[in-house]
Parts: sequence; structure tokens; C-alpha cells
Amino acid sequence: MLRLGVQTNNVIEDNCPQDGFALLKRAGFSCADFSLNGYLKNTDVYKSDINQFFSRSVQDLEAFFGSHKQGAAEEGILISQMHMPYPIYVPGGDKELNDYLREVVAPKSMALCSFFQCPYIVIHSYKLALYLGSERREWEQTEQFLDTILPMAKEMGITICIENLYDSVGGHLVEGPCCNAVKAAERIDRINDKYHAEILGFCFDTGHANLIGVDFENFITILGHRLKVLHIHDNDGRQDLHQIPFTFTATRENKSSTDWDGFIRGLRNIQFDGVLSFETAPVLNAFPEGMKETVLGFIAQIGKYFAEQING
Amino acid sequence: MKASLSTTCIIDLNNPKKYMSYVSAAGFGSMMLDLGMLYAKSDFEDYGTKNSKCNVTELCKQYDQLIEQSLKHSIQIDSMRMPQLKWDTKREDLNGLLLQIGEKCIKACSRLGCHYIIVQPLFSGIMKADRYQENYRYCLKLGEVAKENNVYILLENQCDNINGHLIRGMCSDVSAASGLIDEINRKLNSEVAGFCLNTEVCSLCGQDMGEMAAELGNKLKAVLVKERDGIHETGRLPETSGSNKKWLKMIRGLRKIEYDGMLIMDAGKTLLEFSHLLRSQMYPVIKSVTDFFCWQIEMERHLKKYSNRVLFGAGKMCQNYMEYYGKNYPPLFVCDNNPQLWGTKVCGLHIKSPEALQKLPKDCGVIICNVFYKEIAEQLKVMGIKNIGSFNDEYLPEFADLDKL
Repeated sequence: MLRLGVQTNNVIEDNCPQDGFALLKRAGFSCADFSLNGYLKNTDVYKSDINQFFSRSVQDLEAFFGSHKQGAAEEGILISQMHMPYPIYVPGGDKELNDYLREVVAPKSMALCSFFQCPYIVIHSYKLALYLGSERREWEQTEQFLDTILPMAKEMGITICIENLYDSVGGHLVEGPCCNAVKAAERIDRINDKYHAEILGFCFDTGHANLIGVDFENFITILGHRLKVLHIHDNDGRQDLHQIPFTFTATRENKSSTDWDGFIRGLRNIQFDGVLSFETAPVLNAFPEGMKETVLGFIAQIGKYFAEQING
Repeated sequence: MKASLSTTCIIDLNNPKKYMSYVSAAGFGSMMLDLGMLYAKSDFEDYGTKNSKCNVTELCKQYDQLIEQSLKHSIQIDSMRMPQLKWDTKREDLNGLLLQIGEKCIKACSRLGCHYIIVQPLFSGIMKADRYQENYRYCLKLGEVAKENNVYILLENQCDNINGHLIRGMCSDVSAASGLIDEINRKLNSEVAGFCLNTEVCSLCGQDMGEMAAELGNKLKAVLVKERDGIHETGRLPETSGSNKKWLKMIRGLRKIEYDGMLIMDAGKTLLEFSHLLRSQMYPVIKSVTDFFCWQIEMERHLKKYSNRVLFGAGKMCQNYMEYYGKNYPPLFVCDNNPQLWGTKVCGLHIKSPEALQKLPKDCGVIICNVFYKEIAEQLKVMGIKNIGSFNDEYLPEFADLDKL
């Protein structure tokens, strides 16, 4: 049976992380996607409003997260994936800001990933196609950034995962970086060959894919073994809402407007054996606090359904 | 590049004369005959029942009046678009009918002297894994007829409908579509198949039209331009919904491949939204939008056609020209109507009085880099200058080097 995971955001509290991990356990999860991005929020980064969390030494950061690591271990929750803060480059941002993101936040995130003995860290590629005029030039910039952290990944035994993203052009959501599965597969293979290690993989985000009409089955099948981690969540096809799968419908027949059958077929095609990880932290804002455990349990039930379907 | 208007803009088929006169008066010289006007997507759902309007024999005949009017107004029918199935069609038994219609349409194209037929790939009742092969066989059959009749078949990108949510369907992956086109052309030993990019479908699926155009290259023969809201099929006039920034990638991509095919404007839905008393005034607007797109797409080609060039206007647009096009198309100098700038420099170029334009080499073009295009063009014409071009920096190929972001 495939393992189930969910974001730590909105569940794990810094003052008593073990309680949150215990809650995840009771809800039916055995894995967690550690929301490192919660410590440097993207909305703040875009405003150049940078807190000093990552300015601490690696030792201090490890000390800060010691209770998180211990709490997860005691509850038997595996930190199976982690999200690096993003963006890692702000177009038009100060050089100081962008240097800080690349030279401080990124390597310290890698160090923390290693500290948690987490095998995968998800990054957001540079969103620059609109500025530089082509997806190829955009990727060149991402690859230059990757080259600064891939040696660390190799040394630490971590696989960095690039994620399919969307962009907004004139208020309309369009495909962003890593939305071409064929190109992504070629790039992952080339880079892994170059480093003689499996240090680059893919994170398929169902919500982002749904926003731009990606054919889930086709995309996942092309990625094949390069698909390492998942961000499972749902939306209405218009906004990145991070809600529970099967929530949205678009006709009076009230059937799910997201292609979950295609998602299942795709994972079945590639014999996916990773973690069915849900990126549904915003759901916990929508429901009353008192329903948190019930909601998490419901998400885990959906995970179990997916696992059964994928395993056939 | 050839600009064309969809016949969806002839919104009353019973009275095409009036609307055709509007099209002609606005300056359109050619149209795409959209057979979907006659057989709407929903009509196919009734095929074979007593309510059915589908009659293949009658299909082309019913356009006689429209075609007659187009000829009277010297408007050429340069392409035809086959009727299409709904993306959520319940009918899985109509692929044979579509083939029949396709073959008849190709022959009709030939009779009309039009060389392109836009075809919806097959999808209904075919497993996803089999769609490529089924379409290969379908296009080969159409392609054989097309080859005999000197007509191109253009595959159009489609959506799939997942319970009301539109996602990428057949031929939306242009890399796969490109492979299909190559395979058909190889088998038929002739360049019979090409691609028609439906911008509305790209938008509904959040696709990057620039990257798609670059991938398709010279297989791209037609671009069907429709405005969209990104959620529904709307078929509106471009620039009438949301920011015009969303056309940036399409324009960049078509410029990059030096696109020289058809640009087919479809604004039928926009026309329907206006009172019939106002519609005649919309056609010149549609023509202006079409001309604007053509101008933007062909911008670089116009710069290229002169072996020497001088820029008129020493402002920001001139600076953008120099930053993005100056290396490939270096000007001899810049001139400006402002005497205070004469003798100074911009981007390393001398700024001179317009008088200096009297001594230009014969093959030199004067490129207007100022939004007062009409006024400056008039000034240049009065000076006897014939090679007049215009540059615009609204859709630049890129915004800046990374270091400058």
C-alpha cells in the first residue's frame, strides 16, 4: 500500500511539534511534507520583507528544529519531502535580496533537509520566460541556480524536485516553468547523468496542472520514474485554492471537474511507489479548528482510496 | 502574412449581402468559410434522428448565397473550417460522417479556389492511447483527397472536456501534432498537412502560444485569433477582454518564426453582443485590430527588408529599438523634429535634423519610432521619402537581461 502524507503547515506548532505529528498519525498519515516555506513566506519575499529566520547559523536552525525531528520520530511520522522557501529569485528585486535567497536560504534549506533525513526537497524554478523571451532561457537561469545546490544534494543524498508551476499574464493563469513533461524528463536525465547521481527529480502538482488544463495521465506517464513526489490538491480550474480532491464540479451533473481518473491511471502506468502527499494546508483554514482532526482524517481516507485504485 | 476574417462575422446567413458589404467596406479581402455556422456543434448530437439538420449533400450548397456575395464584393474565400463536434459530445459514432464531410469539403475548397481546410482531429469514441493512430489514418484518407485537389489540411488544436472543465485535448501537444503532420506528409510524399493554431483553445488550456509557434515552425499555416476569458469558449474580438499583455507571447512566437501564414480573425460573438444598429461600425474596429496584430507580428520582417535604416524619433522607443534590435538592424543615425536634440547623441547615434533624410542612400528605410506615426509619415511623404517603416515597442522580444531585472 502506498504511504500517505500531508503538509505540516497548519498542523505542526513550533512550541509543541509532537502534538501535531500525533494528530497526523491519528488521522491516518505516516508521512509529512515539511513546510519549510512557512518560515519565509512567498508573500513577504515578493515584498522584500525578509525575516531573519534563515540568518541563523545551521547549528541554531538545527537546534530550533530538534523538537520537530524528535516529535516526528516519536510519533512514527517520516518527513518524506520538504518545500524550500520560494521564490528563490525575485525579478526586479534587489541584488541583496536575490543573493540572500540563493546563497543563504537555499543552502540552509538543503542542510535542514539533510538534518531531517528527508530524501526530497521541492523547489520552485525561476519564473522568467516573460522577461527573457523564452522558456529555454528561463530554464538556463534555473539550471545555473541548481548547479549551486546540486553538489550539496549529491553529498547529502537528497533529490531536488522541480515542480510544474503556473504564471499569471494579464490576470490570466498560464503555464509557467516545468510544464512540459518531455523537456523536464530530458533535463532531469541530462543533469543526473552529469552528476552521476539521481539528484534531480520531479514533483507533480495536481492543482497547478489543473489550472492550465494539463492532461494528468499523459504528463505523469512521460515523467515515469523521474516523478518522485506529489502535491495533491484540487481547485476550480481558475484559482490555486489547494482544496480537497473531488471538491469541485462544473456542471449540474456534479461530477468532479478535475481528472482524478487520469491521475490514478498515470500513477498506475508508472507503478508509482512514493508517497501520496496532500498539499492541502489551506483546507484547515476553511474548516473550524474543532474539525481539524476529522478533516485530516477525511483527506487520509481519500489518500487510501487513491492508493487502492493505483495498486489496482 | 495574409489577414482574413471568419464568416462567423456574417451573422445573418439569410441576409449575407448586408454584412458582406460591411466586411468589404472595412477593407477585408478574404474570409474563412466556417462550416460550423451551418452545422453547429450541437446539431451533430441529433444526427440520425428526425430532428437532425445534418445533410451532407446539402452542406456546401447552403453556402452558395454567401459565396456568391463574397465574389460580388471581391472577397476571396481562402480557407474553410470543417464543422466540429462538441468536446463533450455523447456521440461516438460520427467519425465516418466526419470523413465524408471532410472529403466533400476538400472538393468544395478546390472548386472555390481556396487552398486550406481546417480539420478537427477525431477524438470521440477513441481511447486516448489510440487517438494518434486513428488520426493518422483519418488524415491519410483526407490527405489523399486533398493532394488530388491541391488543398492543405490543417489540424486544429482541441480541448477535452472533463465534466465541464476544459483540458488539453488532441493536437494540444504540438510536439506530438508536429510528429503526426510529418508522418502524414512523408506517407503522402507531399506537404499536404499543416497546423492551425486556435488561440482560444490555447488560452482555455493556459498554453504558451509563443513556445507552441516556435515548436511548429513552418508547419503552422493558420492562426485562428479569438479573444477568450480563459474559462469558457467565447469567440470574442481580441483586446476586448482583460489585459492585452496576454497576446505578448503569441506575437513574440510568431515573430520569431517569421510567420507568413494566415491570420484569421473571429469576432462573431462580439458582433452578436452589439445591437444590429451598431454592428456596421464594428467592422472597421475588427479590421484595425487585425492590422495591428499583423503589424506587430511582421515588425522584424519590415526592419529586415531595408539594407540601411534611419530612425525617426529619439525618445524611449528609439532606445528600446537600439536595445533589442539595434545589433541586428543598426541604423545610420537618428533624426528628430526637436531642434534642441540636433547635434546630440542617443545610444551612441547622432541625432540630426529631418533635413538629413534628403541625402539617404536609395535602399535606406526611415523607421518611425514615435507614436505619432500618421503625422510623421505625412511629413516624410511631403519630403518625398518613399521607404517608410514603423517600429513599436509594445511587444518587445524580451524585457531585459537578467542583471537588469
